[in-house]
Amino acid sequence: MSVLEMREVTRTFGDVPALRGVTLAVGRGELLAVMGPSGSGKSTLLNLAGGLDRPTSGSVSVEGADLASVRDLAALRRGGIGYVFQDLNLIPSLTAAENVMLPRELDGVRAGRAREEAEAALREVGADEVAGRFPGELSGGQRQRVAIARALVGERCLLLADEPTGALDTATGDDILRLLRERCDAGAAVLLVTHEPRYAAWADRVVYLRDGRVADSTAEALESAR
Amino acid sequence: MSIRHGLLALLSGGPRYGYQLRVEFEASTGATWPLNIGQVYTTLSRLERDGLVAPGGADDQGRTLYAITEAGREELATWFATPVGQTDRPRDELVIKIAMAVAAADVDVAGVILAQRMATMRTLQELTRAKRGVADGAAQRLVLDSMIFKAEAEQRWLDHCEAVLKERKA
Repeated sequence: MSVLEMREVTRTFGDVPALRGVTLAVGRGELLAVMGPSGSGKSTLLNLAGGLDRPTSGSVSVEGADLASVRDLAALRRGGIGYVFQDLNLIPSLTAAENVMLPRELDGVRAGRAREEAEAALREVGADEVAGRFPGELSGGQRQRVAIARALVGERCLLLADEPTGALDTATGDDILRLLRERCDAGAAVLLVTHEPRYAAWADRVVYLRDGRVADSTAEALESAR
Repeated sequence: MSIRHGLLALLSGGPRYGYQLRVEFEASTGATWPLNIGQVYTTLSRLERDGLVAPGGADDQGRTLYAITEAGREELATWFATPVGQTDRPRDELVIKIAMAVAAADVDVAGVILAQRMATMRTLQELTRAKRGVADGAAQRLVLDSMIFKAEAEQRWLDHCEAVLKERKA
């Protein structure tokens, strides 16, 4: 079963169509990259996949649950789906560890356990040594690692990443992709939106969006590679 | 560039025998530039003729070792100090193909661009897989990175073509 499944999804803002019938699926252990020019619908797609927005028509399912029928979307967003955005959204007055703990505490996990989970997540991304520092004291690459740790903490089955390499230099950007790839190989499903071909190339499959439609995908290459 | 300078660079780390040079050359260039052993020996004999290397005895298995000479070190230093020019690159078939697609009547240029983009992306994916497989070999990784940057430049140029043509149509 696919972790994320989108069927004939459309999204219209006023009378401006952003997505016009997109169908795609991401399975466990799969990294799917979505590329396309600005205005092609990439970010809309990601927001719909994460339950941050609702489709005008069509359906979005995460782990078999149609998001239209999920009563507590906020809980699903906190517990099942991890987000990594370009502008990180780390809270400057909290340490790296506290930032990572936050979604778990919001979910009612007691502080001691949330801290243990946060430390484990920071270790996984190689950022355990900065656990006690504040975002302002970290390099761009370290901040991005912390943001990924926050996206990973708990049992996330789906990771959504919107231009996670932002303004990072290419070597640090590669490290971030290596990290996402490892999470995938450990069983997560990752949907990556990027306009940088070099990072999209880390994916199993690359989908091109144009004018709100899937223009093409490298799916055949994946099959022949396996 | 030449195999000459590649071999000199490897020999600057100490004397080596022919087969060893071949293996190290391929490892450093990420196997993107396969050498046959004949090329190695031909090059070594030319380097010897030019006084840039000298046979330096044999190892315990009787294989002839070659060592870099002082003149060889100077030659190598000059090579590293000289930037590579942008001259005499073969014409790029893709550039010509896109130009001709635009010039010709009744060609679906957007289709040509899209097909090329998918092909280039597959190449990029393969290069990235190869890079992930490189455990520790900075030289090999950097060679693959170079190919990744070139493929990426092609992708960006294709994006640019698409945007320019769209503007002109509008």
